[in-house]
Amino acid sequence: MKKIILLFGMITIVFVSMAQQLTTTFIFSKMDITPQHTLWDGNSTMLMGYTSLMNAPIDIPGPILRYTEGDSVELKLRNMSQGASHTIHLHGLDVDQWNDGVPHLSWEVGHNETKSYFFKAPHPGTYLYHCHVTSALHVQSGMYGLLIIDAQNPNETWDGGYSFHKDYAWMMSEVDTIWHTDSIINHPHDTTTIMRELPNYNPQYFFVNGRSEHQLTDTNVAAITAKANETILLRLANIGYYGNKFHFPMHLNARIISSDGRPLPSIEVSDTLEVLPGERYQVLLQSAIEIMDSISVDYFNLNTQDIENAQIVPINISGFISSVDELNKDSYIYPNPTNGKLNFVNVKGKINIYDSFGKLIFETTLNTNEENVDVSHFSTGVYFIKTTNKNFKFFKL
Amino acid sequence: MNKLLLGFTFGVFFSFNSFSTTVNQSLYIVADSLLTVDSTKIPYVTFNETPTYNQSNPIINLMQGDTLDLWIYNTDSLTHDFVIKGISSVISVPPNDSAFLQTIFTVKGSYIYHDPSDFPKNTYLGLAGMIVVKNHPFSCFYWNIKEHNSDWNNQLFNGNTVNWNQYDPKYFTINSVSNPNINGDTLARITGQVGDTLFLYITNTGLSIHSIHFHGYHATIKYSSRNASHLNREKDTFPIYSMETIVLKITPDKEGEYPIHDHNLVAITGNNIYPNGMFTTILITP
Repeated sequence: MKKIILLFGMITIVFVSMAQQLTTTFIFSKMDITPQHTLWDGNSTMLMGYTSLMNAPIDIPGPILRYTEGDSVELKLRNMSQGASHTIHLHGLDVDQWNDGVPHLSWEVGHNETKSYFFKAPHPGTYLYHCHVTSALHVQSGMYGLLIIDAQNPNETWDGGYSFHKDYAWMMSEVDTIWHTDSIINHPHDTTTIMRELPNYNPQYFFVNGRSEHQLTDTNVAAITAKANETILLRLANIGYYGNKFHFPMHLNARIISSDGRPLPSIEVSDTLEVLPGERYQVLLQSAIEIMDSISVDYFNLNTQDIENAQIVPINISGFISSVDELNKDSYIYPNPTNGKLNFVNVKGKINIYDSFGKLIFETTLNTNEENVDVSHFSTGVYFIKTTNKNFKFFKL
Repeated sequence: MNKLLLGFTFGVFFSFNSFSTTVNQSLYIVADSLLTVDSTKIPYVTFNETPTYNQSNPIINLMQGDTLDLWIYNTDSLTHDFVIKGISSVISVPPNDSAFLQTIFTVKGSYIYHDPSDFPKNTYLGLAGMIVVKNHPFSCFYWNIKEHNSDWNNQLFNGNTVNWNQYDPKYFTINSVSNPNINGDTLARITGQVGDTLFLYITNTGLSIHSIHFHGYHATIKYSSRNASHLNREKDTFPIYSMETIVLKITPDKEGEYPIHDHNLVAITGNNIYPNGMFTTILITP
C-alpha cells in the first residue's frame, strides 16, 4: 500500500513539474530614431515595434511568437522605447484580465521596465499580439505580430484535425506615413492621459508581412513554394484598418477550415475569402498539378467599401511529392517533455540536436521508422531538432 | 437545487412561450439633433415611443410567434416610408399622418426597422432601429451601431446632396452614445456571472463595415442575416456589414472586466480623438 502511495506521489510530482515548466520568451519594444523600414518605392518610414533581440532592427510584423498547445508561457516585455509605455495584448487567446495587456484594466510597462505576461497556450491556431496603449496609434506604428499555437503533432492543425506538410503565415497591414512622423509617433507619454488626437487615416502602403509590390516577388517573405499534392496550411491575419479579400487560384483547391483559433463547424470551399481587421483564418491549399501562379489580396476601405489597393504574392508549385516526403508528413517525437529516451516515429536520415543557444549538442542518423535517442545526460532546458525536412522542439526535464 | 431551479425556469418559460401574444407598439417620427461625445449637436431624426424626442431608436422585444401591432406617427414635415427589412412591405406615412402595420414573427433573430426612402439618406439620418425576436429566458443585451459625419447631416438636412461613395464618418455610436457613456447604458453594457448564458443582439444601421473584437471570451454566432452559413462559428472577432444583423451567445468561463471594441478605426476615435468611439467593457463577476 505504501509503495502504491509513493508511486502515486512520484507520478503526481512528475506531472506537476511538467505542468509548471515555463517556456520563457523575451521581447523588446523599441522606437526608431530615424526612418529605417524600407518601402517598395525606396522611401523609408519610422516604426515603433517589437524585436526578439535587443539590438535587432524593428521590422513589421514583429517576431512570430510560436508555442505548442498546452505550453505554460512567460512572455517578458522589456520596454526600450525611450518614451511611451507599452503592453502586449494577446488577441484571441482569452487570457485573464491581469495578462490581457489593456493598460487601464491591468498594467503597462514603462521605459526601461521589464514585466511578464503569463498564459497557457490554449487552442492550436493563429493569433495576434499588439500593444494596447493608445492602441489605434501604437498598432499603426508597427507594434504587432503573429502568435501561432501548434498542435501537439506539429503537422496537424489540431488534435484530430487536418494534416499538412508546411505552413505559411501572412499578416496584412497598411501604413499611412503621416502617422509615422516624429510628431505623431513620438507622442507625449503621460500615463494619466488616455485621450489623444489622431490624424485622418489615408494609407499609402499596403502590406503582406510588411512588404508590398516588387518586394513580394523579390524576397521570400510571403511567396509559397511547394510540390504538387503537398498540403499547405496558410495562416491569414489582418491587423490593418482595411478589409482584405483574398483570391485563390482555382488549382489550389482552397478549403477554409478555421477562424480565430477555432475549427469552423463545416469547412468552406471557396476561391475567395474576406478577412476583416482583427480576424484570422486558416486555409488549406493543395494543387494536384505543377503551376506558377499567385494569390491576390484586395484592400478595401471599410467606410466607402472601395478597393484601394491590391497586392500579389507568387506561388510556385513544382515537382511532385515523393514517397519519403509522404512518410515524413506523419513524423513525430515522444514523450515531450522527457528525462530519458526520446522516441522518433517516421523520421529517417540525419538528425541534429541544438540547445537554446544554437550550439550543436548531438547528431546521429536514424534508419528505421521508430527509433529512440537517450537524452538523459542533457541539461534541463529547451532543445531543437533538425531533420532532413522537418524540425521539432522538446524539453528536457 | 440549481438544476431544479433551472428546470423550473425552463418549464415556466416554455409554458408562457406556448401562448403567443400581441405586442402593441407606437413609433413617432421626430426630428431634432444628436448630441455627440464632444458635445457637438448634429441634425438627427429618430423613431420614438412617445411624441417626445429621444436620440436613441427604441428596441422592440418580442418572443418567437408574437404578433406586433405597430402604429407609426409622422410628426415631421416630410413624408417618410417604413419597412421591417426582410419581413414587411414598404408603407408610406405622410406628414402629420399615421400608418398601421401588423406582423407575426415566426423566426427568431434580430431585424432592422427603418425608413428606406431615398436610401440610404433617411436611414443614415437616424431612422433605423432594432426588433429582437427570441425564444429563451437568458440575459440579453442590444447594440444598434452606427456612424455619423456632422457635415453630411447638416448638408442633408439643408436639402443638399452628398457623395455616398466618399463616406468618411467622424463619430461612432452604440444606441446613439459613444465611449465612455456606453458602459452607462444597461441595455448595451454586457454584465453577468461566470457560467451564465448571455445573448448580444447587434444591428448595423450605419453605412460602414465594422469588425468587433471581444477580449476575454470567444462567442458563438447564433444568427446572421447576411451569412447563414456562419451559424455556430465560434470567434473572437465579428465583422458586421451595413444593414446586417447578428446574434451572439457568450458563456463566460472566468470573471473579469474585458474590452469589446471595433477594429474599424472610426469606431475607436470620435472626431479624431482616441478613444471616443466604442471602447466598452464586458463585466463578469464570480
